[in-house]
Amino acid sequence: MSDVTTTTPALEAHGVRRAFGAVQAVVHADLSVRPGSVTALIGPNGCGKTTLMLMLAGLLRPDAGDVRVGGLSPTTAPKAARTAVGWMPDVLGTWESLTCRETLVTFARAYGLSPADADARAFSLLERVHLAELAAQPARVLSRGQKQRLSLARALVNDPPVLILDEPASGLDPRSRVELRDLVRELGAEGKAVFVSSHVLAELDEMVDDAIFMSKGVTLGADADAEVARARTRWRLVAVEGDLALALARQSREFAVENVPTGSAAVVSVADDADAAALVAALVGDGIKVARIAPVGSALEQAYLTMETERR
Amino acid sequence: MTTTSVSPLAAGSPQSVRREAWRVSLSGVRLVAALELRQRVRSTKWKWALASVAVLIGGVTVLVWAATRAFGAEDSGAPGDITFGLVVFFVLFLGLVVSPTLSATSINGDVRDGTMAPLQATALSAADIVLGKLLASWAASLAFLAVALPFIVIAYFDGRMPALAMLTVMLVLAGELLVVCAIGLGWSALTARTSASAVLTYTTVAVLVAVLPIIFGLLSVTFMDEVTVTSSSREYVYVDDAPQGAGQPDGPRAGIPDDAQRDEQGNYYVCRDYTYTTSVPRTDRLWWLLAVNPYVIVSDSAPSPRLSEDYYFADVGILSGIKLAVRGARVGPTTFADDCDNQLTYEEQQRRDRIDSLPAVWPWGLAVQALLAAGGVVLGVRRLSVPYGTLPTGSRVA
Repeated sequence: MSDVTTTTPALEAHGVRRAFGAVQAVVHADLSVRPGSVTALIGPNGCGKTTLMLMLAGLLRPDAGDVRVGGLSPTTAPKAARTAVGWMPDVLGTWESLTCRETLVTFARAYGLSPADADARAFSLLERVHLAELAAQPARVLSRGQKQRLSLARALVNDPPVLILDEPASGLDPRSRVELRDLVRELGAEGKAVFVSSHVLAELDEMVDDAIFMSKGVTLGADADAEVARARTRWRLVAVEGDLALALARQSREFAVENVPTGSAAVVSVADDADAAALVAALVGDGIKVARIAPVGSALEQAYLTMETERR
Repeated sequence: MTTTSVSPLAAGSPQSVRREAWRVSLSGVRLVAALELRQRVRSTKWKWALASVAVLIGGVTVLVWAATRAFGAEDSGAPGDITFGLVVFFVLFLGLVVSPTLSATSINGDVRDGTMAPLQATALSAADIVLGKLLASWAASLAFLAVALPFIVIAYFDGRMPALAMLTVMLVLAGELLVVCAIGLGWSALTARTSASAVLTYTTVAVLVAVLPIIFGLLSVTFMDEVTVTSSSREYVYVDDAPQGAGQPDGPRAGIPDDAQRDEQGNYYVCRDYTYTTSVPRTDRLWWLLAVNPYVIVSDSAPSPRLSEDYYFADVGILSGIKLAVRGARVGPTTFADDCDNQLTYEEQQRRDRIDSLPAVWPWGLAVQALLAAGGVVLGVRRLSVPYGTLPTGSRVA
């Protein structure tokens, strides 16, 4: 029984399409986000990410296709579907003269919480996004990053099972980004389905379980997944002594030698940590002095860039 | 096992989805209104605005009072009604100027600032948001009216209007402000740019206040009808002034017709009817152009001081004057002009009775304005219902 509930997607879209006049913003989108998982939406500017998220948040009606939030369709049960979602827009709109606390209390009340509950909720959320000291400050004095955090708190105010975050990391300083990443992971661990778009792909790499690539209004399915899987097997190996190329060729592995000022380096295909350990042992046995071995940068970034070049 | 479940068909039908946007909750409306007012009170120089309005209305009240006194007509009682009328009109004028600024940017302004979409994403219905905004802008306009109230009361005590007039004037002024707020809300829902909605709201007010009366005037003189008018005028009879007998000063005399009457100077005259045709405006077909005018509605709804029977051209003050003029316009062209008798003629009395028996003009005007206001609210709710089907051109969701 519990098996059924955990595998039912919290957020689904099938064949979703949406145009604004003559502009086809989303051509065909398929996705599925499980409860307790974090899924990234990745794509270049203007590929339809925000439009897709608006449809998932119940603010925009798809021209065709089906959207489900916890099994509910925003088209036929608008209020139930949209209140099951916490949506953080890419545009930062704040009521300039209201304080942070008042803003959150107002939103909590707008979701039907009692005044006392709304107060408590606002207080705990301000703590959670580290804005407690600014609780009594009007929103107009907040910096961009602080507004971003307030916006995130706003998306959490109704304690929704599904979170849709549109570019939550933009404008955040490095410290806040790390905190955002931890918060998103926490939310996922709490059982929420998190759907997040971002341009900072290295950041996403560390917080997402799945990624959906989007290009020109189309979500890319299996190809993209394969590309990410392939990118994840790319590890960089640096040796201070020994003929690395020869040793790798002897291991019959796929590799590409890189030019470095001292020693030698190569990008090599590695299945997982155990495989990496086995490779290091073999190379050391061959008399190669291995200095470092680690995955090459962000898998999502590599996959994104590879696909972008292919599509050009 | 009992399960209460909504049939999926009923829950998902387009009608029920549309009904969801219209579901009004008292707490939701209050929340939005409180939010709007709190923002407005903090972001504007609220006290200064009210104080300057008080100074403005106070100054005009004093000037109007002084001006009517300068005409020195204290004995007729009419100038006092003019003070009341002019002060009420000035307050209405200010209200019509101020109210659009409070509501005409409330929807498209929030959409532009990006604060609307997060609110639409909550459990609030579109009707909650629209009615909350309407309530807030109306409450803000009522604050201006409250500032004007003392001056209206002062002006009232300077005249002879019935006490009820003060109540009707305040209620109608409040109603007019609500209508203008709702019209502004409607325009702010229809247009993406705040400057456009502000201009359109002022234009709508200008049409009601000035453009329709101008059209009324132009149509009146353009389309005139020929009518036959019977005019009665005095024809004096002069006879040689023979010395009169002391015992019979008013006795019949040679050369004086039997139906002759004598005027204040003792001269004899007879009433003679003449018939002629003339072109007259058919105001009875055009009066409705004036009925939607806020000034006419305020004037027409205020009870008048009792019109004197013996005074032909009774000076009734400004509100009742407009009321009589508009109601007179409804009756249509007069076909009898009496310049002979020095009392109300039967025809004139009948005409006045007809005017009195006509239903009042203001319910029609107010009904049309209520339709405009309702239209504004409907447009607002349609604009804010999510999920959006089509978006207004030039706007985005968030």
